Amino acid sequence: MKTIVIGAGLGGLLSAARLSQAGYQVEVFERLPLTGGRFTNINFRGFQLSTGALHMLPHGPAGPLAQFLKEVKADVIIVRADRPTIRLPLKKHHPDYRHGFKDIAFSEFTKPLSHKDRLKIALLVVSTRKNRPTGSSLQTWIRTQFKDEWLVKFADSFCGWSLSLKSDKVRVEEIFEIIESMYRFGGPGVPIGGCKAVIDALEAVIFANGGRIHTRAEVSQILVENGRATGVVVGNETYRADLVISNLGHAATACLCSEALKEKIYADYIRMLKTLQPSAGIKICLAADEPLIGYSGVLLTPYAKRVNGINEVTHVDPKLAPPGKHLTMSHQYVAPENVKSLENEIDSGLNDLKEIFPGRKYEVLLIQSYHDNWPVNRAASGTDPGNETPISNLYVVGDGAKGKGGIEVEGVALGVAAAMKKIIG
Amino acid sequence: MKINDNCVGCGQCTSFCKQEAIEVKGKAKITAACVECGICSFYCPVKAIEVPM
Ligand SMILES: Cc1cc2nc3c(=O)[nH]c(=O)nc-3n(C[C@H](O)[C@H](O)[C@H](O)COP(=O)(O)OP(=O)(O)OC[C@H]3O[C@@H](n4cnc5c(N)ncnc54)[C@H](O)[C@@H]3O)c2cc1C
Repeated sequence: MKTIVIGAGLGGLLSAARLSQAGYQVEVFERLPLTGGRFTNINFRGFQLSTGALHMLPHGPAGPLAQFLKEVKADVIIVRADRPTIRLPLKKHHPDYRHGFKDIAFSEFTKPLSHKDRLKIALLVVSTRKNRPTGSSLQTWIRTQFKDEWLVKFADSFCGWSLSLKSDKVRVEEIFEIIESMYRFGGPGVPIGGCKAVIDALEAVIFANGGRIHTRAEVSQILVENGRATGVVVGNETYRADLVISNLGHAATACLCSEALKEKIYADYIRMLKTLQPSAGIKICLAADEPLIGYSGVLLTPYAKRVNGINEVTHVDPKLAPPGKHLTMSHQYVAPENVKSLENEIDSGLNDLKEIFPGRKYEVLLIQSYHDNWPVNRAASGTDPGNETPISNLYVVGDGAKGKGGIEVEGVALGVAAAMKKIIG
Repeated sequence: MKINDNCVGCGQCTSFCKQEAIEVKGKAKITAACVECGICSFYCPVKAIEVPM
């Protein structure tokens, strides 16, 4: 079976690795000169920054991505990060970190609550595993259960860090699916070598299985005949295929076959595409001689104005920075209405970092923002429309078609696994 | 080099600029150090960099 993969991001390469392993003849076309999309390293003054991700796999060496990599025999070492922590103001009534702070373990998130609320949480932990809450946003659900605003703040920082969303935009079903995954697979990990190690390993698999990857090769059209995808156009060339996998998300994929999708039978699909909302975010990359956090676990910062969390990956892989230096990266969610004032959002983020690391020496290496056509997530978590399209033999993979309950690249891996099951069986 | 409205500020261009001629804060900005080599434009994921003819 001749297969064309459009886009050499994580989703495209996972698919290409799996299909080439199963004996499909795979050809990948990537528009940029580099592969990996928003999941690879870029060298910046000797630091291994990234094109997107913060070098973290949400469920580390046991998660869906790690499992998928093992199945396709992609050789990556993934090290579990230290446990996450939460930074609280020194006194409960302080609105921020200006008068000092203390850090507690992620698992102690109920500590700031009253005894009564803590007891209630203990009961909910048991009851919600059997009876999952449904039908509202996470924030609404929390507010129907508790008066203490701490839980909303905590939820916002967790959702901001892991999904680049606020808790009022996350379906409660999705978050409980994520909690279940946390029980099952554990917390985050860092691939040794950063994101690019994953991409390199997948490429090695694809090449070993006879697949090909073309860079600087933009697909300008997906060919459709009688409701079936039959190939793509790259430059002046037409490439025929029995199967087309797009790594571009549903909306951008539809643009490549917009003529074919004009038919009335596709109207529902086109309408659905308009409801998809990419999520926006800002990453600030810091360099420091002395560690700012001091361990590899995520530091959640619910009392910062904008920054949701920070990691310091050099505790797992010192080679991600020049000798003796540390790489520390913060992430903040950007609300859709604030995308037009990104500079203000960035300034707020930079101010937060000053409060989170008072008196500490660091250099701001690079500030990276993501929205619209190069977002944190093509489909906000929990709204992914699946891998299939109304065109037969045309599938969508990547962060516009994640699997349920999969945070970021774990969702990408779950989505690819589901698509491959449909295709290969 | 001209930066158009497609720019999201991801900073990918700046890491490939040999002249360190691109500043990024919410959007990329070309500085006077630019030699118009055009390399950055290949690396932009959203076609935001226009190379003058
Ligand atoms: C700031 C930020 C922080 C993040 N942090 C994390 C994290 O710590 N952990 C985590 O798990 N996830 C994280 N993510 C999310 C993660 O980076 C994405 O989920 C993942 O990289 C998406 O991969 P993809 O394959 O779906 O898409 P992409 O990486 O976007 O791949 C699509 C590819 O298709 C190419 N392409 C586009 N159009 C065409 C065309 N017409 N023809 C050919 N090729 C084309 C693109 O150039 C690109 O290479 C983060 C994202 C951002 C932005």
